[in-house]
Amino acid sequence: MADQTLPISAPLPDAEAQRATRLEWLHSWVVTVDHKKLGILYVVYALFFLLVAGAEAIAIRIQLAWPNLHFVSPEVYDELFTMHGTTMVFLVGMPILFGFANYLVPLMIGARDMAFPRLNAFSFWLTAFGGLLLYFSIVGGFGLYGMGNAPDVGWWAYAPLTAKAFTPGHNTDYWALALIVSGFGTLGTAINIIATVASMRCRGMTLMRMPLFVWLMLIVSVLTLVTITPLTAAQIMLLIDRYLGGHFFDAQAGGSPIVWMHFFWIFGHPEVYVLVLPAFAIANEVIPVFSRKAVFGYPAMVAASVGICFVSLTVWAHHMFTVGMTSVGNTFFVLSTMTVGIPTGIKIFNWLATMWGGRIRFATPMLFSTAFVFQFLLAGLTGIMLSVAPWDWQLHNSYFVIAHFHYVLVGAIVFCIFAAIYYWYPKVTGRMLSETLGKWHFWLFLIGFHITFDTMHFVGLLGMPRSIYTYEPDRGWNTLNLIISLGGFVQAIAVLLFAWNLIYSYLRGERAGADPWDAWTLEWSTPSPPPDYNFAVDPVVRSRRPLWDLKHPHDPDWKYEQ
Amino acid sequence: MAETQQHGAGQAGTGHAGNAHIHLPAPTAWPIVLAFGFTLVAAGLVTSAGVSLLGAVFMLAGCVGWFRQVLPVEQHEEVEVVEQPVVIASSRALVDRIVLSTTHRAHLPLETYPVTSGIKGGIAGGIVMIGPALLYGWIAQHSIWYPVNLLGGAGVAHWSNPSTADIAAFHWQGLIVATLIHSVTCLLVGLLYGAMLPMLPRHPVLLGGILAPVLWTGILHAFMGIINPALDARIQWGWFLVSQVTYGVVAGIVVARQGKVPTGQSLPFAARLGIEAPGLLLSRPDAGPPRGEDKD
Repeated sequence: MADQTLPISAPLPDAEAQRATRLEWLHSWVVTVDHKKLGILYVVYALFFLLVAGAEAIAIRIQLAWPNLHFVSPEVYDELFTMHGTTMVFLVGMPILFGFANYLVPLMIGARDMAFPRLNAFSFWLTAFGGLLLYFSIVGGFGLYGMGNAPDVGWWAYAPLTAKAFTPGHNTDYWALALIVSGFGTLGTAINIIATVASMRCRGMTLMRMPLFVWLMLIVSVLTLVTITPLTAAQIMLLIDRYLGGHFFDAQAGGSPIVWMHFFWIFGHPEVYVLVLPAFAIANEVIPVFSRKAVFGYPAMVAASVGICFVSLTVWAHHMFTVGMTSVGNTFFVLSTMTVGIPTGIKIFNWLATMWGGRIRFATPMLFSTAFVFQFLLAGLTGIMLSVAPWDWQLHNSYFVIAHFHYVLVGAIVFCIFAAIYYWYPKVTGRMLSETLGKWHFWLFLIGFHITFDTMHFVGLLGMPRSIYTYEPDRGWNTLNLIISLGGFVQAIAVLLFAWNLIYSYLRGERAGADPWDAWTLEWSTPSPPPDYNFAVDPVVRSRRPLWDLKHPHDPDWKYEQ
Repeated sequence: MAETQQHGAGQAGTGHAGNAHIHLPAPTAWPIVLAFGFTLVAAGLVTSAGVSLLGAVFMLAGCVGWFRQVLPVEQHEEVEVVEQPVVIASSRALVDRIVLSTTHRAHLPLETYPVTSGIKGGIAGGIVMIGPALLYGWIAQHSIWYPVNLLGGAGVAHWSNPSTADIAAFHWQGLIVATLIHSVTCLLVGLLYGAMLPMLPRHPVLLGGILAPVLWTGILHAFMGIINPALDARIQWGWFLVSQVTYGVVAGIVVARQGKVPTGQSLPFAARLGIEAPGLLLSRPDAGPPRGEDKD
């Protein structure tokens, strides 16, 4: 049924023919099982929600720009920060990174598609419908304030606020159900990536010759399998509490809200690594190519990534220092959290060592990657500060914490996502993104980012709590909040420039050719965009940089690699 | 050097080069139907049972359709191979190599202390440092259990703001935890010594035995007030330094007195794992005949 073209049997007038062509084009995207098309769908879907969640962030910043403002109502404000957090994590971060994995992993390992193409399509559509279900609550959700009530319990949805008594109606259920639906999609993609990497590598592509991007995506997929599961279980337990008389999180009936916190953060903290490891993966590809050097310490990078995967599963309760754990518990989570600094430190040193002595080209992808290295270092340092339990007791739930995790999520992950789009857009579309617009985008976004999030640390140190609707003018936060909000607008302008660049360059951009960056991994050996089958001839590789070997036959890597 | 690739292939290889078509999985709508049905089933829980019922129908249809796609034989489509020559070339064909001077410091160590020397040093240092620690407890607090409980107090679960008398008393939980912490830490630091001492060019006992303990005592002194103010208030840093230096000197002497072993840094990874196979090891022109052969 679905694998047939539309029934057009006779020549059609021009207008109708065009319409039929458009329908065929649309139909081809709906029924596709091609990893490249699904990757593009993931990325486009995530970019759309990036604009939506960005608009929500701007609304939040307008509300907080000055004391006692009433730009939105308190009820809408709660919905805004809940939807902003949920959207950015579940509908932007994970889909866009899985989109890159979908598009690039088969190309990088010399495969024609993912291991399970239909499961791949199913996973994407589950993710997409999960997001739509979440946003349907804006019109269909019935909550404390009546019809049209989006979820408003924060993206962490702590008990007992989520109990039926405190959050009547269905808006919290929309939140739980949407994440269950999209969570199954995420699990499907993770299984698919693991199977693809395990069984679809081309001849010669041993594990230790795989591009670091593929290694990192494999590790992320394993981590996803481990961490999405407790979240899904917790969502189901929440629904049982709300509808079937369960008491998992009801302290008055023998349950415990702390159980929810454990379930949520045993997902929530590794989730940060699920998001940031693909950012590392992107930097691992971009930095060597633009430094004209092979990545420094490949085995150490692999080992550090695996190390991060394991250590990240042992740190979740550092989000819970203030709930009153025992000193043994606090000590364990302080030490385990600090341990993360070792493998991440290895990575930062290796990126710097890769750049050191290289002939660096500061094209737009490299600009974003360079900024990422330094911003991630700063984010890591504030993370180490917050890992110290007494420090965390002082600053928990303050804007210092918000500044820290936005330094990770924006300063590291979003910067790397931009780097990736500038780097692989030519491969996907066949056209280069405008470097001029790209540099404007980079500098504006960099300046806006630092205006906003550097300042946010200080307002946090001055005691401003997160999630507050407004504040009194005598707290000493007024000017700082105005600066933070202005920085948000600068970032928004930069993102709009980026969106314009995507559209303009798609229509008018310079032709890219197969290998515009003089890169070394297999995807650059295909035409841009690659054909449906990726490779007409199955590739064979002998080193970690197969295209380097071809370009430098007298000096191939396989002579040196062990 | 440039090389031309046909059909957009990566490198020379085998496969479908001679074929005009390539098999790929056929496009299908059943995954989206199944996903939509699953979402409707979920949405029905917060809207209407009818929505869930409709979702179940979609799911059933999706499952049946999907099964028919892959059973008994997976459906494929034939995609025509389009000739798209891809030139794989670099405008930067020249390769620069880092030139090392003959006096460059980055020489791999050919010999080092064995791992067991670090373990022995750690054990010896750990045993000897108990002396000054207990001496401090006896002189300053009139109880040898005081330093034990300072180290192992985290293991005494019911303790909150213990008095000096509490800390000076015997607690078996504190003793067990202190013993564990002390043993593991001494072993790990001993291992670190075994790894680090070859990197310290001269006076290993002075650097490893005195300078390193002074440095980490200083770091601990600087941070302990932030990490654990209550513990910081009870530590006598002078005595602490004496016990650390005792450990460092003893461990350093024990490690330095052990014989060195070859590192095998120049060997392939597999050979360093202990795998002996033909072709794995290159013959070394400076090496003598294998043991035993020279007797013939």
